[in-house]
Amino acid sequence: MNATDPILSVRDLRVGYEVPGALVTPVQSVSFDISPHEVVGLVGDAGSGKSTTALALMGLARAPGKILGGKVMFGGQNLLDLPDAEIRKIRGRDIGIIVQNPRSALNPMLRVGRQIGYAYQAHNKATDAQARAHAIDMLRLVGINDPERRVEALAQELSGGMAQRALIAMALSSNPRLLIADEPTSGLDVTIQAQFLDEMWATVQKTGSAMLLVTQELGVIANYCDRVLVLHQGRIVEDALVAQFFTAPQHAYSREVLRFFQERSGDYPGQVSGGAGFVQTRALTKHFPLRGSAKVVQAVDNVTLTIAKGEALGLVGESGSGKTTVGRCLVRLVEPTSGQVLLDGVDVTALSAADLRRARARIQIVFQDPFDSVNPRWTVADILDEPLRVQEGGSASGRRDRAIEALRQVDLDPALMKAKPGELGAGTLQRINIARALICRPEFLVLDEPTSVLAPRARNSLIALLARLQVELGISYLFISHDLTTVRYLCQRVAVMYLGQIVEEGTVEQVFTQPQHPYSRALLSAHLMPDPSHRRVDHPVPAALEGEIPSPIDVPKGCYLASRCPNVTDACRANPQVLTDIGDGRAVRCERVVRGELTDG
Amino acid sequence: MSELTQDQLPDEHAYVPPVARRDWLLLTGIVIVATVCILAVIGPYIGPYDPTLTTIRIAIPPPSLTEIPGQLTGWIAGTLDHAPHWMGTDANGYDIFSRVIAAPRTDLMIALSANAISLVIGVFLGLIAGYFRNWATELLMRVSDVMQSFPVFISAMVLVALAGRSSTNIVIALAFVYVPIYVRLTRAEVLAQTARGYVEAARAMGNRELSIALRHVLPNSLTPALIQSSVTVGFAILLTAGLSFVGAGVRPPTPEWGLMISTGANQIVLGEWWPSVFPGLAISITVFGFAVLGNALERRYERN
Repeated sequence: MNATDPILSVRDLRVGYEVPGALVTPVQSVSFDISPHEVVGLVGDAGSGKSTTALALMGLARAPGKILGGKVMFGGQNLLDLPDAEIRKIRGRDIGIIVQNPRSALNPMLRVGRQIGYAYQAHNKATDAQARAHAIDMLRLVGINDPERRVEALAQELSGGMAQRALIAMALSSNPRLLIADEPTSGLDVTIQAQFLDEMWATVQKTGSAMLLVTQELGVIANYCDRVLVLHQGRIVEDALVAQFFTAPQHAYSREVLRFFQERSGDYPGQVSGGAGFVQTRALTKHFPLRGSAKVVQAVDNVTLTIAKGEALGLVGESGSGKTTVGRCLVRLVEPTSGQVLLDGVDVTALSAADLRRARARIQIVFQDPFDSVNPRWTVADILDEPLRVQEGGSASGRRDRAIEALRQVDLDPALMKAKPGELGAGTLQRINIARALICRPEFLVLDEPTSVLAPRARNSLIALLARLQVELGISYLFISHDLTTVRYLCQRVAVMYLGQIVEEGTVEQVFTQPQHPYSRALLSAHLMPDPSHRRVDHPVPAALEGEIPSPIDVPKGCYLASRCPNVTDACRANPQVLTDIGDGRAVRCERVVRGELTDG
Repeated sequence: MSELTQDQLPDEHAYVPPVARRDWLLLTGIVIVATVCILAVIGPYIGPYDPTLTTIRIAIPPPSLTEIPGQLTGWIAGTLDHAPHWMGTDANGYDIFSRVIAAPRTDLMIALSANAISLVIGVFLGLIAGYFRNWATELLMRVSDVMQSFPVFISAMVLVALAGRSSTNIVIALAFVYVPIYVRLTRAEVLAQTARGYVEAARAMGNRELSIALRHVLPNSLTPALIQSSVTVGFAILLTAGLSFVGAGVRPPTPEWGLMISTGANQIVLGEWWPSVFPGLAISITVFGFAVLGNALERRYERN
């Protein structure tokens, strides 16, 4: 076996399960190779068989599935022919796997060090003390600070990012020649995602192993992969180098997923002129009291926002930054602790219960999880009828016509009226949520991460729909998202939130091309652009933040970012920062930026 | 590669029908429960003897296995002087088989009515307690805790003893002791449903709170209580029989399983096992059937 021979060679792999009278094969005839040092991306729609394929490579199938045939050649032998005892030796030793949802993949009863140690001892002769020492080394290798202390931690004591790294440490503990990572970063914030993938990539390069990266994110593919496999309906429909995949996609699926990004360049929706604020918040603050303690969770801290008529304002930030709470305060699903929300000059927070119910026709909200936000027992017709019945009344047939019109407005077939939520896909259902929010013709719509649970194809078409509706209806959006690509596409202005505060605000163009605040810079640098010509691994970015977001219970005295900021001074740690207008419609909460000390830092 | 590029992308709205699998437990439960329900309607009329009238044949044992074919053919041919006593007769001369199949009318009617009353009251209180959380509903839950802390059987016995032995009082007593179960179950589900997005969405639409509770939360919170119903009916049958057994239930000669066991129990020392064993088996199978049905329904619900 010489250095250029593939590490893994899969031929005609088939996985399926029997249902009465039929054989369902989610994976049919999958063939590909992976060479040393190579990072190969496996992409595909939800349900295309990605995870099933990844598991089958180690001879595993989730019940009732079975591996029906094919070859998985690894180290000169077909893994699917090996007896159980033999293949178990290879799993974990020669092939490591990293799964989604790191915290549930760790045993909550065992200390992290023991778990890594067990994985090591399963394949290597080592005493407990040696295994522990090895675990510490592995944790250090994956960039965990203070590994001597962390080996004693339990899974639930680790943050998501750290738990994920502990899993990598376990997967790497026996120096596997192949790593399989199944959507390792889904659910992680962009900053953590970037740190994590940087480390994985570096490890593969260092050790000469190879990695199969299952993902739906084009940004991840563009920045870290050498080659892309597109899986569609259980078959590999495209096997291309990354550059080729992005410039000349072959299959219909690839073309559709990529079209969005290619069209986007230069084709922004029209700029809305500032004008008087249509929706405004004034010093909006929300504290959640902590049970059994005098302390409060400071979810939203003095947020002042202005959204013009017909404008889309993006609200971005990591999880825990308070963006969702701002959205809920705006529609008064959460009562603000203090501050005002003005809609067309009327203070929404001061309305009586009856006035508020009427005002709700004008302000609507779309939630993150489309399945959770509709009554699962109702039909689409019932769901769309409800706001009309509550807000306007009128005849049943008139309301039905309006509902059908609303379905057409979101490009759905009126035949769906009879469907129930459980029969529909996430993308379709989210469109129904949007139709429901729009049916009473509101003037302002809060979109709370409406695309975060959708697969790329559904997400792209939904964002395009929202952009079209904004222009057609002249409606204002507050678009809450951690996905910077969609914010850039949809919004005219953007506000960056950190720990309950707005740290920077400006037009999308300003903030995305020249972020000023150190936090915005870090956030944007961690954002993986779906563009293989500017790979993150080729251009290391210096603006990284250290550590993780502090607890909103004990907020720092001075600048909230001080503990993580690369440009921190003693003055920053002592002085609370103020959101300051720096002209051109921009505002930044950083005195060093305002004084011009951080230009091109 | 080129022919692959012609592939049409699947419809985003594709509908995948759920895969139905055969569930033997569910089937067993349904067969037993259906049999008991049918007997509750026709049981008193189809037995060979009137369940409330004695015969002159006292304490006859059931036919042995070798006698069964002879009796069966004789019965069909009409050559016997009286219909066979398939389960024997008891010390009073009642035909046990006729009484065993007539008893579901009493037992099931009491159990079903008690369950229906406690279900309605319990679900309603559970909805209120889960949706509107304040000191009053807190108090309601504490009262329900206290009620639940008494053994069900003892509570029911005391209630019947105080109110008098009638079917109505037994129903009321059983309903009373089962209410807290439904309050607790429904409240837990209401709490879970209230945290869901569709409740917030309904609020954002301008619905009134009461309308959200009734139109959205209630229908989505019913399933656990309905599943529990099957189990509760089974146990209510057991409890009805238990009350009769200790003399706090229906009066003789009403055909009722617990009463039959109780009457027969005196003769067991004489070796007359049949007056008690057959009604005992009937209770066991019935309670088993309801429990299995409830269990299978619950798993089915959790899967979805």
